[in-house]
Amino acid sequence: MIKIINAEKSSSDSVVFPPFSMEIKVRETAAIHSSLNVRSVLMDIFSGGMSLSSGSIEISGNKLASDFKNYNGKLSVMFLEEGLYERLTVKEQITFWKKLHLSSRTSDEILRLVQLEHLKKKRISSLTFSEKRRVHFARLLLENKPVLILEEPDQNVDLETRRVIKKVTEALKEEGKSILLLTGNMESALFMTEHVHRLDEKGLHRLDVELEEDESSGEEIPEREDHGVSQPVQIEKIPAKINEKIILFNPPEIDFVESSEGQSNLSVQGEVYPCTFTLNDLEKRLVPFGFFRCHRSYIVNLQKVREVVTWTRNSYSLVLEGTDRTTIPLSKLKMAELKEMLGLK
Amino acid sequence: MNQSIKRTMAIFQKDYKDFTKNLYVSSMIFLPLFLAAFYGRMGVQSLDMVFMVFNLTLTVIAAFTQSALIAEEKEKNTLRGLMLSPAGTGEILIGKSLVSFLISAIVLIFSAFLIGYQPENALLIVAALFVSILFYLGIGTLLGLITRSVMEASVAILPVLLFFSFSSFAVQLSDEYPILKVAEYLPNSQLVDLGYAVQNGAGFGDGWAALLIITAWTIGVSALVVAVYQKKMVDK
Repeated sequence: MIKIINAEKSSSDSVVFPPFSMEIKVRETAAIHSSLNVRSVLMDIFSGGMSLSSGSIEISGNKLASDFKNYNGKLSVMFLEEGLYERLTVKEQITFWKKLHLSSRTSDEILRLVQLEHLKKKRISSLTFSEKRRVHFARLLLENKPVLILEEPDQNVDLETRRVIKKVTEALKEEGKSILLLTGNMESALFMTEHVHRLDEKGLHRLDVELEEDESSGEEIPEREDHGVSQPVQIEKIPAKINEKIILFNPPEIDFVESSEGQSNLSVQGEVYPCTFTLNDLEKRLVPFGFFRCHRSYIVNLQKVREVVTWTRNSYSLVLEGTDRTTIPLSKLKMAELKEMLGLK
Repeated sequence: MNQSIKRTMAIFQKDYKDFTKNLYVSSMIFLPLFLAAFYGRMGVQSLDMVFMVFNLTLTVIAAFTQSALIAEEKEKNTLRGLMLSPAGTGEILIGKSLVSFLISAIVLIFSAFLIGYQPENALLIVAALFVSILFYLGIGTLLGLITRSVMEASVAILPVLLFFSFSSFAVQLSDEYPILKVAEYLPNSQLVDLGYAVQNGAGFGDGWAALLIITAWTIGVSALVVAVYQKKMVDK
């Protein structure tokens, strides 16, 4: 269990983040979505490299400031840039951690969980970035601490690794761990955790993901049909505003629309343009062009979707075409709707 | 085995496997061995030469290997993982020193064999070399902790290497420049002095002063290492 009470940090006369409180209980996962600066400051604070300006952090009842030894004994931290002993093989590295943390799990079990069995004799220096990431997750399994703090765990990893990471974090959660994710990627936050928060200079805001989704899902279906009938093909451009300029996009150009804090952002060929309409308005305008509201905070252009990935029984993502293979969350309820639209059921 | 020893051994085993695959560092052990074999075949038996090889071994193997191992942990971000692990300061520092210690000891024995050095009182020399290894491991750890990468550590070790390999010769100039008398109290000069004393038939009774001075240096350096390590742990 992790408890953050009125934690605040300012450095050289500027506020990094104002006081905020949050609590993650046993068997709960949460994410803090923030800028890179806030994220790295938070990581330094959690790992004891920097102290808070005021407030306190407790891990299972042990205070960060006054009882670091016990605090650290209950906490696993995984940085985005973690080190590995590059000259060792995967198996040797895992055996080392197993002995260092006096874990009772066997290394074969760990290798199986992170799906590295076929690579266990390989040197770590010859692994890909994604495979190294899975080795880091092996450490989390061996440490077996009640609280985990992960920085960008699934950044830039391949789909298979993402699936492994999702599975491992689910398993850790089932074991009764509390997991906090720090990320700058909203999609990753929604994908990995149950509760998503946004932290910036204005404070901590919670995004009520599941709740509103349930409420809105009831009304959307008739709405879409309304428009589908009453608005036949019509020429409609979507305006986005950048500085003083207004740019007009043809709907088919848009890959997807993402909303963060009431601001909807159009994503066009990897660039992001803020749009003045709300997501609900955009949905009404875009549905006739083959767009689909796949999540409370996302509208996707179905023409650009290449793949529907099933991570676990009720966790899905959409993968877009193109080299960077952007993924977009697809919520459970919308999955059923999508299947229906595609005529799969 | 209690937990603390288990963790220390885990670090030792990991370092041993890593060291055998690390050609950059492990190839260094041939330098003093080559010198020892060379002087041994040349038939040079002056004690100065013998102890120059010993001091070189200590700096090149003990200090350099150790600094490279520590600096690499820092460079590759793995030291942070060790610091955040349940292993304590002592466990990490001892575990990280064991490999360099064993290799230094083995190389010293081989060099003595190759150069054909047979001291009168072997026990006293072994004790002095044992403490000296600890001193140079301390110097190496210190350098590894204050530098940021293996490259930096390799550069920083050079003046140290020159200083401790050759400062024992400075003592010979101390008649001309009295200030160089200070050099007599350096651990490397003390080691040479002890070598001469042993050759002249000195026992433990006469050698303890030199041994004590080297031990004092070792304790001083170890204290400094622990202090620097603790500081690095706080500000990373």
